[in-house]
Amino acid sequence: MNDVLATTLVGVFGITGSLIVLCSALAMFKVRDALSRINVFSPATGLGMPLIVVAAYVWTLDDRGFDWTSLFIAILAVLCLIIVSSVASNTLSRSSVLSGQPIHRKTAPNRLATPPAGVVDEDPDAAPETGD
Amino acid sequence: MSIVIAICIVILAVAIVVGLVRVLTAKDMGSRAVVGDLVYFSAIGMLTFIGMHVSSSIVLDGIFLSSMVGILATIALSRILTRGYR
Repeated sequence: MNDVLATTLVGVFGITGSLIVLCSALAMFKVRDALSRINVFSPATGLGMPLIVVAAYVWTLDDRGFDWTSLFIAILAVLCLIIVSSVASNTLSRSSVLSGQPIHRKTAPNRLATPPAGVVDEDPDAAPETGD
Repeated sequence: MSIVIAICIVILAVAIVVGLVRVLTAKDMGSRAVVGDLVYFSAIGMLTFIGMHVSSSIVLDGIFLSSMVGILATIALSRILTRGYR
C-alpha cells in the first residue's frame, strides 16, 4: 500500500476514534447521574474503539501486507467491542439502579420510580384477598 | 506516521486525565465505575498506538484480547456496587 495513503487512513481513523473517546470523557461533565454517564460512554466503545481497531488494521496492512488472519482478528475485535461493551454497559447500569445510585432530580419521565399512567401496580407478594 | 500516532496518544492521554478529574469530583460510586471503564479503554487505545510506534507484531492481537476480557472489569465493578448480589 502507498505510504502516504496508509498514513492518511491511519490518521483519519485513529484521530477520529481518539477524539470520540475524548468527547465522551468530556460529556461525563455535562450529565449529572451515573446512568446518563453509562449512556454517554457508549459511543466511545461502540464507535471510537472500533475506529482505532480499523486504524491498527490499516497499519498492519501497510506494514506486513494482506493476511486473512489479520482481517479475521480485526473483524472479531470490532464485533467483540460492540457486543461485549453492550453487555457490560447493561450489567453496570442494572447494578447501578439496584444499588440505589442517585438519579438526577430533573429526570422525566422516570419509569423506574413511577409506572406509566394507566398501569395498575399490583404487589405480587401481597396476601390474596379472601372472598366472602 | 509517527506524528499521527503521537497526536492520537496525546488525545487519549487527555481523555484519561479528564476521566480522572471526573473521578475526583464525582459523588456517587456508579460514576466512578464507568470512569474506570473509560480509563481502561483509553489505555487499550494508547497501548495500540504505542505498539504501532515501535512496530510491534501483536498490535491487533493485543486490542482483540483486551476487548474480549474488558467485560470482566466492568462486571467486577458492578458486583462491587451491589455488594455481591446479582
